[in-house]
Amino acid sequence: MKYLKLSLMIVITSILSFMPVYALEERNESNNFGVNKKEIKITSSNKENVMATPYVDASEKIYDYADILTDQEEEYLYKKVQEFISTTNMDMVILTDSKSYNYDSQNETYATDFYDYNDFGLNLENYSGVLLYRNAYELDPYYNVYMFGNAQLYYDFDRSEEMLDAIYDDMRSQSYLSAFEDFVDIYTNFYEDGIPSSMRDYDIDEMGFMYKKYSYPWGWALLFSGIISLIYASIFIGRNKMVKKSREAQDYLAKEDIDIYKTVDQYLRSTTSSYTVSPSSSSSGGGGGFSSGGSSGMGHSSGGGRHG
Amino acid sequence: MGKVLDVQCPHCSAPVHFSAKIGKMHCEYCGYEFDASEIKQETTEEVVDTQEVVEDESDVNYVRYNCPDCGAEIITEENTAATFCLYCGNTSIIRSRLEGKFAPSLIIPFKTEKEKAIEAFKNIRKGRPFVPASFNSEANIEKITGLYIPFWLYDITVDGKMDGTATKVKHWTTGNTHYTKTDYYNVERAGKMYFKRVPVDGSKKFDNDIMNTIEPFDYKELVKYNHAYLSGFLAEKYDVDSEEAFEDAKARVLVSGKETIDKSLSYATVNRKNEVIEVTDKQNEYVLLPVWMVSVKYNNEFYIFAMNGQTGEFVGNIPLDKKKVFLYTALVFLGVLIIFLIGSLLMYYV
Repeated sequence: MKYLKLSLMIVITSILSFMPVYALEERNESNNFGVNKKEIKITSSNKENVMATPYVDASEKIYDYADILTDQEEEYLYKKVQEFISTTNMDMVILTDSKSYNYDSQNETYATDFYDYNDFGLNLENYSGVLLYRNAYELDPYYNVYMFGNAQLYYDFDRSEEMLDAIYDDMRSQSYLSAFEDFVDIYTNFYEDGIPSSMRDYDIDEMGFMYKKYSYPWGWALLFSGIISLIYASIFIGRNKMVKKSREAQDYLAKEDIDIYKTVDQYLRSTTSSYTVSPSSSSSGGGGGFSSGGSSGMGHSSGGGRHG
Repeated sequence: MGKVLDVQCPHCSAPVHFSAKIGKMHCEYCGYEFDASEIKQETTEEVVDTQEVVEDESDVNYVRYNCPDCGAEIITEENTAATFCLYCGNTSIIRSRLEGKFAPSLIIPFKTEKEKAIEAFKNIRKGRPFVPASFNSEANIEKITGLYIPFWLYDITVDGKMDGTATKVKHWTTGNTHYTKTDYYNVERAGKMYFKRVPVDGSKKFDNDIMNTIEPFDYKELVKYNHAYLSGFLAEKYDVDSEEAFEDAKARVLVSGKETIDKSLSYATVNRKNEVIEVTDKQNEYVLLPVWMVSVKYNNEFYIFAMNGQTGEFVGNIPLDKKKVFLYTALVFLGVLIIFLIGSLLMYYV
């Protein structure tokens, strides 16, 4: 019996050692539901999202709930992610799952809640970091990248799209290690290229939202000042020129001294032309990549997302 | 031989001047005031020998006279009709330049006084930040002189006729459809216009544009010419004859004649086939009109200013102080730049 119990424990321990273990203790009131970012307030409107979000050890970085990576692959990626973090001073998370969804936005909510309600980027400026989410859901798999804090400045929509396109073939052919490896490399390279010109006028506030920095409009200011000063100069230079050439003599022609004795206004014909004006239509456009709020109230940006 | 007149008080025989303020002759010695029309019989006349004619390098002829009051020598330009004696200050009127074909038929006596001209000249700086500091200094103000300028006044009849086609255009919108209706007309106009007393200055010495700008004069105040009105002022005789000066008046009335015909056509467009605007009759008068003049030298250039001696209209091109132009324009530029900066900051943060 004693040997049986021992054998059972060994078997159970062996089984558990092959299963990924990411969850920490339960979210409850005593630990503020596992949320340690001071800007995030737990309210009745987001409590459900908080409780539905896995509570994980943020140091692990690779969360393969869909079980699409081997342990060795996870270990390899973990090391690459750590290199990224030390290079960029921004967090990085790779998350896979197999959740049902009806809309792409459900994936976004899940991924951003996962980042916000866990301790990712906790000790970094503006909780900066990136999260690549792969939802390997049945016949409609989906993947996208989400940026938080300062990462929104480094990885604008164009760069995110470029990365998502670059890993598309590997994702579609389920070469996940290669895809995730490329993701880390490409994002490291982008970081080293610096903030793209499209984002240089922007900054991140304490809630993680992008805002346009103040920059003095020198071009307009110089143009406007130049025009006003030229108008000023021309008006007052003009005042010094009081002599005007008189080319007519209306002052010397009284109304009673005008005799228009022949007036013929003979109607000849009329023509009418017309054209139809189209009712005006408003144009609409779309695009992703701008700062938006998740259920946490914190800002983030994303790429365009891919199915495949 | 030439004759120089002076105007003397009928009471005390002292020289008298025309006072623009009271519109009469005024004797500063005995205080007697009288109408200029009375002077004809009361003027003394002396005959003075004309001295030699002197010609300088600029081909301007100067003539020497003797003052009838103190006997001092007076040198005038050949077109000067009234001047002052530098020694006794009395007005000397050179009759030969105001007689015969040079006799003005009418004159408008000065109505604005020298003080008003000085005040207007001093005020020229108001609202004009680029006027040089030394421009209307006391030294320049001293130079302001009352002058009767010879003018030709023309009564001109202009005949005008035209024919052509014209259009009236109406626009309206019903629903999404925009309509334009064009009505075509055959139009003809013919008329006569009687321009009265169009002035042209008869002296080459004065800039025509300045003289045009101080127009119009109020012709209701024209009176029969009398030498007495010239006392206290300078005067010129014409050196541009009636026919030559008429070309300027003709050009002006033809422009206004065409404008008058055009005003009688209330159409959107007019396509003229034939048009004739011409002068069919003209009469002229030779008159003297009052002008306060000052010539200011600035940066080796002379700037002439004139004030209508009747209405007070003051004109002339004022020189520019280039340093002030640059400095003030730069200050405005900087001011606007700063205001723009503050506005931009407020718009960003508020």
